[in-house]
Amino acid sequence: MKLLTRRAFGLLILTLLLVAGVLIFTVNYAINADSWAQHATNKHLYTDGQLKTAGKLYDRNGEILLQTVDGIQKYNVDKTVRSALLHAVGDSYGNIVTSAQVAYSDKLSGWDPLNGAYRFNNNLSSFNSDMTLTLDGELCAAAYQAMKGRKGTVGIYNYKTGALLCMVSMPTFDPENRPDVEAKPDQYEGVYMNRLFSAAYTPGSVFKLVTAAAAMDHLENIHTRVYQCEGERIINGAKVTCPKSHGNVTLEQALAESCNIAFAEISLELGGKTLQNYAEKAGFNASIKIDGIRTLEGKVNVSEAEGGDLAWAGIGQYSNTANPLTLMTYVGSIANDGIRVTPRLIRETNLLSLLPGDRLRKKRVLSEETAETLGIMMRNNVKESYGEHNFKGLELCAKSGTAEVGGDEKPHSWFVGYLNREDCPLAFVVVIENGGSGSKVAGSVAGKVLQIAVQRVAEE
Amino acid sequence: MDILIENATQIMDGIRAWADRVVEGIAAYLSNPIEFVEFYTFVVRWIFPVLAVLVLLRCVLPLLRSSGSDRIWGFLEIKDAYRIPIMHWENSIGRSKLSDIVINLPFVSRSHAVLSYGESGWTIADLGSKGGVRVNGEIIEKSGRVEIGDTISFASAEFQFVPEEEGIERIKRKSRLDWLGKLGPNITAGKTFLFILVFQLLGAIQIILSKEEGSPLGVLYPFLLLIAAEGIYYFILSKFSKKYRELELLIYFLCGMNLFVVAVTAPGSLMKQVVAIILGMIVYAAIQLIIKDVGRGRKLKYILVGCSILLMLLNLTIGEARFGAKNWINLGFITFQPMEFVKVAFVLAGTATLDKLLTTRNLTAFIGFSGTCIAALILMRDLGTSVIFFITFLVIAFMRSGDIRTIAFISAGAVLGAFAVVSFLPYIASRFQAWGHVWEFADTIGYQQTRTLMYSASGGLLGLGGGNGYLVGIPAADTDLVFGILCEEWGFIVALCAVLMIVFLAFYVLFLMRGCKSSFYAISACGAVSIFLIQTALNVFGSLDLLPLTGVTLPFVSNGGSSMVVCWALLSFIKAADERNRPDGGDFALDTDETREGAGA
Repeated sequence: MKLLTRRAFGLLILTLLLVAGVLIFTVNYAINADSWAQHATNKHLYTDGQLKTAGKLYDRNGEILLQTVDGIQKYNVDKTVRSALLHAVGDSYGNIVTSAQVAYSDKLSGWDPLNGAYRFNNNLSSFNSDMTLTLDGELCAAAYQAMKGRKGTVGIYNYKTGALLCMVSMPTFDPENRPDVEAKPDQYEGVYMNRLFSAAYTPGSVFKLVTAAAAMDHLENIHTRVYQCEGERIINGAKVTCPKSHGNVTLEQALAESCNIAFAEISLELGGKTLQNYAEKAGFNASIKIDGIRTLEGKVNVSEAEGGDLAWAGIGQYSNTANPLTLMTYVGSIANDGIRVTPRLIRETNLLSLLPGDRLRKKRVLSEETAETLGIMMRNNVKESYGEHNFKGLELCAKSGTAEVGGDEKPHSWFVGYLNREDCPLAFVVVIENGGSGSKVAGSVAGKVLQIAVQRVAEE
Repeated sequence: MDILIENATQIMDGIRAWADRVVEGIAAYLSNPIEFVEFYTFVVRWIFPVLAVLVLLRCVLPLLRSSGSDRIWGFLEIKDAYRIPIMHWENSIGRSKLSDIVINLPFVSRSHAVLSYGESGWTIADLGSKGGVRVNGEIIEKSGRVEIGDTISFASAEFQFVPEEEGIERIKRKSRLDWLGKLGPNITAGKTFLFILVFQLLGAIQIILSKEEGSPLGVLYPFLLLIAAEGIYYFILSKFSKKYRELELLIYFLCGMNLFVVAVTAPGSLMKQVVAIILGMIVYAAIQLIIKDVGRGRKLKYILVGCSILLMLLNLTIGEARFGAKNWINLGFITFQPMEFVKVAFVLAGTATLDKLLTTRNLTAFIGFSGTCIAALILMRDLGTSVIFFITFLVIAFMRSGDIRTIAFISAGAVLGAFAVVSFLPYIASRFQAWGHVWEFADTIGYQQTRTLMYSASGGLLGLGGGNGYLVGIPAADTDLVFGILCEEWGFIVALCAVLMIVFLAFYVLFLMRGCKSSFYAISACGAVSIFLIQTALNVFGSLDLLPLTGVTLPFVSNGGSSMVVCWALLSFIKAADERNRPDGGDFALDTDETREGAGA
């Protein structure tokens, strides 16, 4: 029998293969079971593709944003709030991949590795599965109204704590009265995309904040230099123009007046590599993870650019694209002494979160000195160019952008900045697609929304 | 200081808000009246995994225990020197370390002779040795009879063949797995059986409670019948058999899972399934009785092989197609899958006694029969079963020939052939297309696998409770996707235990190999357990997208009458390989009597 024992090795191989398979599956199961369960056809967790949320989704003030009542999804009672928060909460069919309903479906559905989809007493309001967002529903509703149906996005966050207070993406719709999106492709263009997280636009003059930071660190005597602007200049055969002749300008004036020619010269002196380096410090070419949700990368690729291309890149008009949220956090880092605090979307409500301890993710982006000087210049922008009377009491520091998009279309309108107030440390971004003048169009939306934001923060 | 106070109030506010949430949550729980069913499931879903793990351990440990006696059938004795025990019915003798009786003398051939016991008593066969074999001085041409007291000489090494004597201390065989057996010295089969009965009763009640319509008796009766059958057979084993009972207990557990699956997927065939289980037990006992004698086993082999060829011809002429494979026969009063029964003949066809195995290395007949089976399966378009036959063929063929080159050659040919089959049959090719990325085909060709994965995950470790699953609504859930049902309704732990039980069967057979009294049992046990293993792999891994989905049954667990009976039949080969008696296996003296009788003293 010794011989046959030896020859039974075929069986031994089979057995080991089966054991290996069982191990592989067990590991697979341990790693992937949550994502397997979160499939819209899983009848334990979804009805007709709608998530049967076990928990309720709240905003920062305890307003219910989403709950399941008798197996049917119920959103906030207010239609405006529902529409404003569509991209944060998600529609019922999981079309918005960056929404809480999709990104946090495992938590909201109440699935856990031990019990699976089991619910004692079929009670779907397990408080274990409740979630609270950092967003303020009322503030989002105000932002939604201020956008007046124009496409674009509004984002506001606390640059010290990272809490996202306002996130509105347009176009949007009321998830409880879903329109026929396919029938009106123009009106609902990209409606399932959260433009704050997942869009990338030409940044235009907003990008000068990056160029200016690089200039301050790398060019000697930059603050005493004077640039001459005659309204247009030919650089290596490429024409750079300003809307009008700015005359002799310093860096501060150039930023306030958004003088393209001054910044074109600065870019050429800095060189592509330095500009690339500062763009990457500012968050370009990388995505930010906000409580598990990834933003789209903004793209800057200027290390090899020269001449006209480099000049236009420094003005934010070359092949650069910017993600609104990334730019908002860059401005937030200017406000926060050069340290970027990663935005957060989930407000922890369990006992553990009350324990002291700094769980914020922070990253130094600029030196403290550069951040401070840039902040003063941004404050100057408001006083000199955008009109302090439009932003009364806000202590606003900002930069506008009017990004040419080519063709016959109107430029995208950008406005980013922050409030230099200890009691109200907010940074913001407003983008209105084809809105026209940055400071006038996006700036006026920002003004309205920020006034309400200050009130809401004061009330808390 | 202010900061401290501020922080403290903040924390207090937080605690208050959190406490409010907790109270609200509890109130929400209580506001819904709790039904009895809910409460029942809440409790038993914790009991099932515990029982499953206990049953698995309580069955595995005793079976790996090496206590009990190793029978000695006689001795080869050098006068007044020493004696070599004869441990098997078939013993290879030679200089090679792989011989059962090693005679380390230079003039003895590596494989010199085989001493075996059969219908006509003990015989000795010369394996073409240089020195020859003599019995009482007479040279043995091919094989010759040996009587007690005869002198056998290999080349010039002389031995006397003496009978086993009473009072000789039995030799304990050392095993590397001894420590495993020692882990559970006091495990009693009765208690394990009780655990299984509790599991099955609680499970049956769970399924009955979860059903909103239909008579509860329709589910209860089959379970009671199963429990009665298990009880009766257990009683018979305790009374009339001295062997371990844990193997049967493991299978009881799997049969219970089988009824759970059938009760939720096809309640109508519950009774049929119980009848199949009982029939299986009868076949199991009958085959054991027949093959107790190797000579009868050989006759059974020729009868079954003959029947199989007829069955296959019948299948190819009047077979019916279900789920794409034409592998059903409908005789009006009964429908069955003939290829299932062919498996039994196939395993037997591969067997051979040691002398045949060492003298005639000719595999032609076995290869011919295997080829016929696989060709028939390809004609029936039953890919899964042909894979089972082919791999089992490799395992047996290697045991028969020991020649790895031949096996490699055959495998290479088969893989090429398989490629051809796959590329020619678009239906099969489509299964391979989805393999590995089923989520991309979630609503087309990956439909069954994705549902299995998602509902397996929904069950968590503890399961949702029998009858509370959704996988049952997916096509072939009761056969191909049973692992998913086990995961969903009974939890990952129970499902894993069920698979581990089948995996254990393989370790068990490997453990038994050395002690088999005849290569007939060794080969048939290996063949049978190979079939179980391959089916388990194809079924479980197919439904989970680790392998292409081929649609074979999970042994003992999947719904299907033919499959159940055949699994029991195959199990009898595994059981027959276990020669040991349980420690409490009754009268020792009786044992020796029978032994002597068997030795033909």
